[in-house]
Amino acid sequence: MSSSMCLRCLKRSLVPIESSLPLTAGQRAAFSTSPSLAANPPKKTAKPTKTNARQGKTLKLTKNKRAATTRPPATGERKALRKRVVLSNTNALDVPGLQDLTTDSVSGVKLRELQDKVAGLGNDTVDALRALEAFKPTQGWSLFRRPASLVRRETVELAELLQAIQDSNGHQVERRVVFGEKVGGKSVLLLQAMAMAYLKGWLVVHYPEAKDMTIAHTAYQPVTTADGKTIYIQPQYTAHLLGNIAKANRGLLSNMRLAGQHQLPVPLPPNCSLLRLVELGANDADLAWPVWQALWTELTTPSQPEQEGLQRPPLFVGMDGVDFIMRDSAYLDSEAQPVHAHELALVRDYADILSGKTSLPNGGLVLAATTGSNRPSAPTFHHYLNRNHAEAHLPTLVSLRDRLRAQAVDAHSASDLNFAELDSLLSTLPPSLADQLHTFRRRAMASQRSNASVAKFLAACDTFQPELPHWDPYLAIDQRVADVMGNVRVQKLQGLSKEEARGVMEYYAQSGMLRHTVTDGLVSEKWTLAGNGIIGELEKGAVRARF
Amino acid sequence: MVFIYGVNFLESRLVTGALTTFYGIGPSVCRTLMSKFHIHTTARVGDLGDRQINSLAEELSTMTLENDLRRQVVDNIKRLRDMGTYRGRRHAMGLPVRGQHTRTQIMTARKLNKIDRRG
Repeated sequence: MSSSMCLRCLKRSLVPIESSLPLTAGQRAAFSTSPSLAANPPKKTAKPTKTNARQGKTLKLTKNKRAATTRPPATGERKALRKRVVLSNTNALDVPGLQDLTTDSVSGVKLRELQDKVAGLGNDTVDALRALEAFKPTQGWSLFRRPASLVRRETVELAELLQAIQDSNGHQVERRVVFGEKVGGKSVLLLQAMAMAYLKGWLVVHYPEAKDMTIAHTAYQPVTTADGKTIYIQPQYTAHLLGNIAKANRGLLSNMRLAGQHQLPVPLPPNCSLLRLVELGANDADLAWPVWQALWTELTTPSQPEQEGLQRPPLFVGMDGVDFIMRDSAYLDSEAQPVHAHELALVRDYADILSGKTSLPNGGLVLAATTGSNRPSAPTFHHYLNRNHAEAHLPTLVSLRDRLRAQAVDAHSASDLNFAELDSLLSTLPPSLADQLHTFRRRAMASQRSNASVAKFLAACDTFQPELPHWDPYLAIDQRVADVMGNVRVQKLQGLSKEEARGVMEYYAQSGMLRHTVTDGLVSEKWTLAGNGIIGELEKGAVRARF
Repeated sequence: MVFIYGVNFLESRLVTGALTTFYGIGPSVCRTLMSKFHIHTTARVGDLGDRQINSLAEELSTMTLENDLRRQVVDNIKRLRDMGTYRGRRHAMGLPVRGQHTRTQIMTARKLNKIDRRG
């Protein structure tokens, strides 16, 4: 017989649910509120009171004390580690046929053969540059086997300049500021100039970081000059600089003796060599300033080649980060007013040499490099950089206009004239002049297109008067900086050319740091990505990038 | 260990840090003091010359510092209260004096606004 539900379910439905309880317990309902109603009210348990975060004691971190398991570093150890310069990487390959810069090869003619190639630096040169703190920890020296740098067009020009100064026998002093984009190679150009000057037997003086003088991290003392002004000397930093000069120019200085008498707190031995004098100042901060003054008096006395020990070679004076000295320093005078950088004695000496106020009778090169990545605001200085740069290019622009004008006078109509020169010049000019030329070019092309009369073009020529950048009269100008920069040549460091980029990339490849074949395509690619050949970006893209 | 105005400081201590430990010298007073004696901002106590330390101590002795200053502050508050001013009353009650809202957060007033104010 079939049923609507299974037998198991039928059986379950017949058995009462309460049959699981023992029958002797008595028949009780499943749920009842009687026992709970009859029970005593629940006891209050001690709840933990919520403490007010603002009252009572504050958070204890004594349990979280860090146990010092290692020896703490000695004073100055961390700084030394940060500032150390590594010049060699033994994992990089030795580049075969890497020619060094030698005394012979740094003459302008010979160096042209090395242009667009990388040239190494000899051991003596490296020692001297290391003593002068020319190498910086942020540069890429630690990636290659030994220090080497690209010989650029600007390097060859500098070599020719050094040769010309040497040949002029003390009558020529070149004063120049190098500026440009960050990681553009300004500091390395300065290093190359120092190396070449050293190889030619010049005396090399270098201020590795102008920032160190002006950020008030070294001791300073006021001193009253002969004309009643207060200047500030920095004894410890002067001693440091003297130490660098002594180490780098050891050979030259030991062969020179004092030409004149000097008033020093300690008596000098008779027939004292210049090296002895400089080391005296380097070892004692109290003597540093008088020794510095004595040294500069000696270096700026005219050379006497017939007398032994009184020959004075030409002088190279370099400074990196010159923006820092063209503004107020971080020092305060006794009235808590900021001290201008030019009131610091060391800076004043350099500024006098750069502006030409102090002459170098034995000739020389005064080179200053600005800083790109660490630029402080120095509006007057940057205005003068732009102005002097434009001033250097102004004659070419004016002569171009005059040439076109002369052509136009002879021509029949504007369409006969050739404006190709305008285009080529446009790319080489600084921005302020390029804008003015662009406007003129537009008018010239318009008159050419419309087949206008020559008179219209001549009128355009007459109204084209290129001007240098003007200082905003509503801003206060720093007169001290304006006086220094009025007479200084400036040089803008642009990107590399494609040939130079190829040269440096071939060096990277030969060192084993660039693992590609150097083709024109690769060179173009890296050059473009480096912002049209900015060498620091090129190095980053080719060698430092970690893939 | 160098003595400045009666307190011993470690030679490795910054001069700014050492001077600001005195009650009554904060960052601006410290800056004017150091500029007066041509001490640079990152000078360590061990770098100071004897003459600089002596002139610093001399200058500090002319200034109101430490307990003299504390006494001055307490006297000022007492004077306000004795005159019966609003500010005196607020100090006595430990409430904000400078017109702040008292609906919330008057911790600083509760801590500091007292007649017998310490520090």
